[in-house]
Amino acid sequence: MKPENSGHDDAVLSGLLREWKVDSDLPPRFSEQVWRRIERGETAATFSPWASLWNRIAQAFARPSLAAGYVAVLLLAGLAAGYFQARIGTERVQDELSTRYVQMVDPYQRPPR
Amino acid sequence: MKRPWLILLGGLAVALLAYGGSYFISSAPMHHLEHSPAPALAWLQTEFHISSAEFARISKLHESYSAACAERCRRIDAKNAELRTLLASTNTVTPEIEKALRETAELRAECQKAMLQHFYEVSQTMPPEQGRRYLDWVIGRTLGPQHATMTFDSPDADHEHHHE
Repeated sequence: MKPENSGHDDAVLSGLLREWKVDSDLPPRFSEQVWRRIERGETAATFSPWASLWNRIAQAFARPSLAAGYVAVLLLAGLAAGYFQARIGTERVQDELSTRYVQMVDPYQRPPR
Repeated sequence: MKRPWLILLGGLAVALLAYGGSYFISSAPMHHLEHSPAPALAWLQTEFHISSAEFARISKLHESYSAACAERCRRIDAKNAELRTLLASTNTVTPEIEKALRETAELRAECQKAMLQHFYEVSQTMPPEQGRRYLDWVIGRTLGPQHATMTFDSPDADHEHHHE
């Protein structure tokens, strides 16, 4: 829905804009500040928590001591997990075998056939 | 930007390898027990630190005990079958039932006596300290207090029956 007199208004507005003159001076370092605001806006628009996290990880791994610490912690965690998992399995097998021995020597403890 | 990925995934690979290696080494004795010709006796040897010579004697004792035990079990099964037939034919305690019950109890006592004798022989084959430990353990599992506790007023009975 275009207003009927829009062509007339556009012509008036164009005339006024042509006549308009800015007398005041721009503030100091105006251009630099404008570019800085544009940069900040772009950074805010592309911010993602994953990218931020990844950047922090990449920065951390850039330090050899932190990278070596990370690998060492995982190595120890893997060793401990394997050891405890095996211990649980060993205890279960020992329980089973001790019960089997008792059933071998005590006929009243044998499972019903 | 490849280096962080390499460190991240390399660390995870190291953890997996460490887990596998540690599990394999720590569970090797368990696999050895499970795959031995007589796993329960192999467990006995490991648990009570029995030497090879002692283990050979214990295996022989076990073999001869098992053969005699099988014969006693056959007699107990036959006596139980006889008792079941007698119980099915009447609704009173006849002299025959009384006799069969007595004989069943005698067979059970004979079985337990032979079992206890076997435990003593096995324990005497082990080093003294391990022999005592074996006796404590095996008597606890077979003829221990839980088998003798029949009343509710003893401390053992309270321990045994408090969940019921």
